[in-house]
Amino acid sequence: MTNSSAIAHDFLTRGRCETCPIVDMHGHYGPFRGVYFPDPYADGMLRAMDRAGVARVVCSSHTSLVDPERGNREMAQVIRDHPDRFLGYRAINPNYADQVEAEIARFPHDAGFVGFKFHPSGNCYPLTGDNYLPALEYAHQQRLIVLSHTWGASQYDSPEMLGEVAPKYPEATFIMGHSGYGEWDAAFGVARENPNVYLDLTAAYKVAGIIERMCSEVGSEKVLFGTDLPWFDPYYCIGCICFSHITDDERRNILHRTAERLLAPFLTGSQPPEGKQERRGSD
Amino acid sequence: MRFFDCNVGFGQPPNAPATVLRTAEELVRELDFCGVAEALVHYTAIEHESAQAGNCLVVDETADHARLHPTWAILPPQTHEFGTVHEFLADMRRDGVRALRAYPEEHRYLLNALTFGPLFEEIVPRRIPLMVGPHWAAITQLLADFPDLTVVIVGHGDWGDDRYFRPLVARYPRLHLDTSNYQTPDGIADFVGQYGRERLIYGSGFPPFQMGGALLTLARADISDEGKEAIAGESLRRLLREAAP
Repeated sequence: MTNSSAIAHDFLTRGRCETCPIVDMHGHYGPFRGVYFPDPYADGMLRAMDRAGVARVVCSSHTSLVDPERGNREMAQVIRDHPDRFLGYRAINPNYADQVEAEIARFPHDAGFVGFKFHPSGNCYPLTGDNYLPALEYAHQQRLIVLSHTWGASQYDSPEMLGEVAPKYPEATFIMGHSGYGEWDAAFGVARENPNVYLDLTAAYKVAGIIERMCSEVGSEKVLFGTDLPWFDPYYCIGCICFSHITDDERRNILHRTAERLLAPFLTGSQPPEGKQERRGSD
Repeated sequence: MRFFDCNVGFGQPPNAPATVLRTAEELVRELDFCGVAEALVHYTAIEHESAQAGNCLVVDETADHARLHPTWAILPPQTHEFGTVHEFLADMRRDGVRALRAYPEEHRYLLNALTFGPLFEEIVPRRIPLMVGPHWAAITQLLADFPDLTVVIVGHGDWGDDRYFRPLVARYPRLHLDTSNYQTPDGIADFVGQYGRERLIYGSGFPPFQMGGALLTLARADISDEGKEAIAGESLRRLLREAAP
């Protein structure tokens, strides 16, 4: 093997890199209609994380993408059970406007949620639609993270649509789920032009050469590790990063540094939500 | 581990993907970067241009590279684009081709007994592996008609296709799966625990897939070292040894 990466060597030989704890910024939780998962619950996810040295994963439950009240409650329990390993995105279903307000109202009362999860394609509702506005405004006010599914040429969540939304809420941090898969030039442009927009490797990592392009055209400090766990084995994404033609410094940015910086405000103490009120301002 | 990648392509595709390896030399350098010893390869023109061009180019381009083993596309015998079935098999012997690939969508045919009966009746006893993408309905019918056909399903898996392939794996012992897109967490261990280590074949799916994903997933799978060696290359080497065009 001519790959001289020390990180790659560690993962190949030891299965993990002790100096490079991984933070997964795009996870889910629970079974999903069309997919076989050997174990989509906390024990199975933790097993996969432990083997690969994934320190934390930030998740939205699959249920929450359909029924936010039930799914976010499920996610909150997982976070309570494993506060050092799981953080959450509170999912919003914009097709039920009254539930959007209810989820925002609940946000301060559950520990471990760092922001919102939007899945415009899954909900067949455009990212630019009015029913997302209350959550976007709240994320801006409270300096939260918004992870939105994006996909190339989508009528609901194309990179251009995120590029339309993100500048209006500069205090919110936007993660472009899947990096606008397939519409790479547009996605990279949005990430370059907006300081609050980050690329997400989930699913995109497997496209040969795309990690190199992200690092050279946007910068490794704006690329985040993600797996859709329990969809995809962390080792697959790690392998794509390890065997990309980038430096170990860039690998560290992707695997943990940038995510740690984004999550730092949410990880002070044992993070009861009230403890963050001073930083976030009043509700 | 001595990796033998069953699913690699090279050559210039019509679009301009993020990575293009145009020559066998470039492909060998990338295999070296990833620590892969050998590969069963196709030329990308096989998908995007024509089966004829791809079959010729892959032989020409790999002639000086003993680590690269060419694969060919099949076409319906009735159109005689590769001569008779026996002429096609003779050409395989001449050019050292020991595995075939099917592209029912790109090459626009029905992958069934009506179309390919004359060819498959010959390749079944010769144990020539047929590599095909996850066309589940066609594969299910094909295996019903040719239960002893050696099949390697490549590139399955974005949405965890186990519900499709496990019934087939349980029924047909000559059915294999590549690991290029098998990303299910603990999926390899789960599969091997149920069906043994002989049915999975390491493949990267490059291009369009990055080479390292499937490689590290197998290298760190929660199975025995013997199981990893089998999947990494031993099973494919055995299949190719058995193949007798």
